[in-house]
Amino acid sequence: MAHAKPLATLRSATGIPTGRLAVWWVLASEVVIFGGLLGVYLMHRIGHPEWADAAAHTQTWIGALNTFVLLTSSFTAVLAHQAAEKGNGKEAAKFLCFTILGAMTFLVVKSFEWYNEISHGYTITANTFWSFYYTAAGLHALHVIAGAIIMGVVAFDAFRGRELHRVELIGIYWHFVDVVWIFLFPLLYIAK
Amino acid sequence: MSENNEHEHSNDDGHGHDGGHHVNYFKIYVVLVVLFLISVAGPEVGEMTGLRWITLITAFGIAVVKANLVIQNFMHLRWEKNLMKWVLATSLILMFLMVAGISPDVMNHEGNNWENVAAKAAVERGVDGEAEEETMVVAAPVGFTPQGAFQTVCATCHGTAGDGNGPAGAALDPPPANFTDAAFWADRDKQRIMTVIQDGAAAVGGSSLMAPFGALYTDEQVSELADYVISFAPDGAAPGGE
Ligand code: HEC
Repeated sequence: MAHAKPLATLRSATGIPTGRLAVWWVLASEVVIFGGLLGVYLMHRIGHPEWADAAAHTQTWIGALNTFVLLTSSFTAVLAHQAAEKGNGKEAAKFLCFTILGAMTFLVVKSFEWYNEISHGYTITANTFWSFYYTAAGLHALHVIAGAIIMGVVAFDAFRGRELHRVELIGIYWHFVDVVWIFLFPLLYIAK
Repeated sequence: MSENNEHEHSNDDGHGHDGGHHVNYFKIYVVLVVLFLISVAGPEVGEMTGLRWITLITAFGIAVVKANLVIQNFMHLRWEKNLMKWVLATSLILMFLMVAGISPDVMNHEGNNWENVAAKAAVERGVDGEAEEETMVVAAPVGFTPQGAFQTVCATCHGTAGDGNGPAGAALDPPPANFTDAAFWADRDKQRIMTVIQDGAAAVGGSSLMAPFGALYTDEQVSELADYVISFAPDGAAPGGE
């Protein structure tokens, strides 16, 4: 690449590479966004015993399937990072593609799930439980979509041996998306 | 300078972050999947034994363990500089502070000087019946009292004080009637109020937003409810008897 890089990407006052620092900053703010959302849900759930009836209609096995899909995609994301560390861009790109496949599987399963629920009348306005359900899972799904797109870009570069350090950065983000789901799963599907 | 420069830079940040640690990722993955299976089985065991805390522990306890495994080993927070750990801890603490700060308002439905009528009504509606199937249909309270009926069924639109300012009323056009307004009572008597409760406002030429509630109450109860509605009228404005 001919053009020069901005200085800020090359130096680091903290000792943490700038890109990684930036990803962590993003996640620090995401902690407040998702943490706040989940915290508020938990409080309402405790204050409203009748939510148990509504929550009983979520499909545990679909949530479980998606949990498994995301866990696996996190695993392939870390394998991509490992490959990138060894300088093997092609391998890294391959594992990133597996991760994108995981993201897409997650979204397809989610669409079926929502289609089914909405056609049974459980819409975002049905009651406060369902409002929360669609808001939280929807915000999470947007993160999945964003992650998949960025991973596509990173994989494209990595395949050509470029910008390999980015494989780790998108990985860190992706694991965070996984961690959010790790908490959403028991909240929405298990502890009814 | 090439992109490799930056990559090397991140390799040589002097703390052995990249490549310096040997995690058996597969092992971690297997542990995660096993934990996941336990959390799915939790509710079954909880149900079989009737111990709800088993479900809660397998659900949330395991979630914390899983999240920690991912954060430490996949996100490599273990090897990250302390600065970053502090930044993340700070936002976690701020988040907990926020949640703790609003929890008394959200989790309680009444306090010394306030009462969350809408939340209470929601709980009552939901717990009382299969109401969540048809969320808009309000179940009649079991033991009838005119106040009780009004506060649970009518107050969502007409307000607890009968002034038309209920939480669901704001969105309605026409707005719910204000029973504390003398002008409202100028041309209404008890018979009309009873007709409205039984057959809806449409029966007297009004809006169908004021639905018929005749199916919920006996004639006697409708009469008591009408008296209660009349009791909101300001002094001197209430229509005389039947
Ligand atoms: C879904 C919201 C809603 C609920 C619940 C509701 N009302 Fe109403 N009510 C209205 C609206 C809107 C009007 C105004 C109708 C109009 O102006 O045409 C109204 C009007 C009235 C009127 C005046 C009608 C007239 O023109 O004389 C009475 C009396 C009344 N409601 C009693 C009740 C009682 C008693 C209950 C509980 C059993 C109740 N309402 C429940 C929305 C509601």
